[in-house]
Amino acid sequence: MNNVSNFIHSALAIVEMEVRKIRHDSTELWTRSVQPALWLLVFGEVFNAVRELSPEGYTYIQFITPGVLAQSVLFVSIFYGITLVWERDVGLLTKLLSTPSPRSSIVVGKALAAGVRGIFQAIMIFGLALVIGVNLKHDLMNVAGVFMVIILFAMCFSSLSMLLASFLKTRDRMMGIGQALTMPLFFGSNAIYPVTLMPTWLQYASKVNPLSYVVDAMRALLLTGDYANLPADLAVLMVSTLVLVTLASTAIKRLVE
Amino acid sequence: MVDSAKAIEVGGLTKVYPPDNRAVDGVTFSVDEGEVFGLLGPNGAGKTTAIRMITTLGRPTSGSITVFGLDVLKSPQDARRMFGYVPQAISADGDLTGYENLLIFSKLFYVDKRERDGRIRDALKYMGISDRGDDLVKHYSGGMVRRLEIAQALVNRPKILFLDEPTIGLDPSSKRQVWGYIKRLNKEFGTTILITTHDMAEADELCSRIAIMNLGSIRVVDTPEELKKSVGRDVVTVELPPGGNATQIPAELGSVIGSEDGVVRISTEDAEKAAAIRRYYEGKGVAVESVSVNKPTLDDVFMKYAKSSIQEKGTMVETRSLRRSFARFGR
Repeated sequence: MNNVSNFIHSALAIVEMEVRKIRHDSTELWTRSVQPALWLLVFGEVFNAVRELSPEGYTYIQFITPGVLAQSVLFVSIFYGITLVWERDVGLLTKLLSTPSPRSSIVVGKALAAGVRGIFQAIMIFGLALVIGVNLKHDLMNVAGVFMVIILFAMCFSSLSMLLASFLKTRDRMMGIGQALTMPLFFGSNAIYPVTLMPTWLQYASKVNPLSYVVDAMRALLLTGDYANLPADLAVLMVSTLVLVTLASTAIKRLVE
Repeated sequence: MVDSAKAIEVGGLTKVYPPDNRAVDGVTFSVDEGEVFGLLGPNGAGKTTAIRMITTLGRPTSGSITVFGLDVLKSPQDARRMFGYVPQAISADGDLTGYENLLIFSKLFYVDKRERDGRIRDALKYMGISDRGDDLVKHYSGGMVRRLEIAQALVNRPKILFLDEPTIGLDPSSKRQVWGYIKRLNKEFGTTILITTHDMAEADELCSRIAIMNLGSIRVVDTPEELKKSVGRDVVTVELPPGGNATQIPAELGSVIGSEDGVVRISTEDAEKAAAIRRYYEGKGVAVESVSVNKPTLDDVFMKYAKSSIQEKGTMVETRSLRRSFARFGR
């Protein structure tokens, strides 16, 4: 029991560390919301005209808002390992790993911190959607559900990124792999067009694409209210998060050796 | 193993990097509680590798490490509860304030919540940085960051503090200041301190015992006084013209402890031998430019046991990463 409370205590201290940094300098958060804004305002508005893209009863902007949200959280998380590499280069990681806090608690803390950044993105996108009049469900339960999905999703992919960082060890390689991963994930998912429009092979690929499950869950919560797939979506997300956090926790020491 | 429980006991510590780089090779030593123990050696001697293995950051290829009777390799997390570690490169977070750095790391160290704030404020005051406690650390000078890192030890109160080259890159006055704080930490809190350095003056100033390391193994362990005595009573420095290199001299005159760029240092029992040494060189047809006599320093001890110049072996990578870490805090 004591171990568990120590673990939570350490993970929250890491989150606090990140939040305090954001409070001192939040430039990154604001600049990061430019891209999703463009997707909604430019891409969304233009493609609104293409009828086949939007499913029955919804406008295209409604359709892609959950997709853009997922994409922007993906970008925040997939490059999270770069922070880790930077902390290693400046000696901070050595200091973190020399504390009695379990290494897994440090990884979980950092993953949660990525979730916090993801929540900020979500708030910006919700705000923008409200301003341009995108009709979304915004009861408390739905929004809380979306936040939970975002946190899990950010934890999942930031752990993957930390795991990769433990092996790649340089910022350049991390930038490369980040770019190489995000685009296929994004375009191979249901984020900006329905799966039914895809060629068959891509439909199969999108079945193993975790982003599809995230977008699916968010779309259920924000648009359709059809929660049939939600438990499965969440289960996939939770299991992959657990696996990746565990792997990243054992691999992280490679960065200081 | 739990007998009188030395603060640190290291036995046969070895780290081999593939293919066959024995960075640390069968190192054995022990540190008493309350002692300031120095690991001295040129860059690349294996000091940092050794300290990283003791602090559980690196895994030894073989060997044993116990602290206060606890097997570090078996219970790394419990061992870390006793440790404070100040790495060579600056490790405070520049994007947080001084206060926040101390706060977060005291939380990660599980310092009692009720004592935390008091200890942090005391530590900042003690280190003379309380007026800068709310400034971002990236605006601190190198000396202030080092003081902040030592302040962390005051907050966390570790039983053993590891300092890896604590004053590297600092100006002489900041260096003296940091030395003063290290000594007080040792006296007032009885903290056992393991320090690595290649600065002889630092080792002389701080350490009660010194282990001289070179090429991965320990050459000698003793107090600074005894080490200096082991060199001889006096050191004669002979300056030869460029190219003049006579490293062998008759045993009755003394023994050569170091020779580079035509400067030969000879340890002798009697300063009077200086004249005889001069005559010996001139007798061999070597013009002597100057002869001087000094008391032995730890530099001489170092030359005797490590047999290589300290500056010579600094690797590019090491120098570059240090410069970079200090540049971050330059104003």
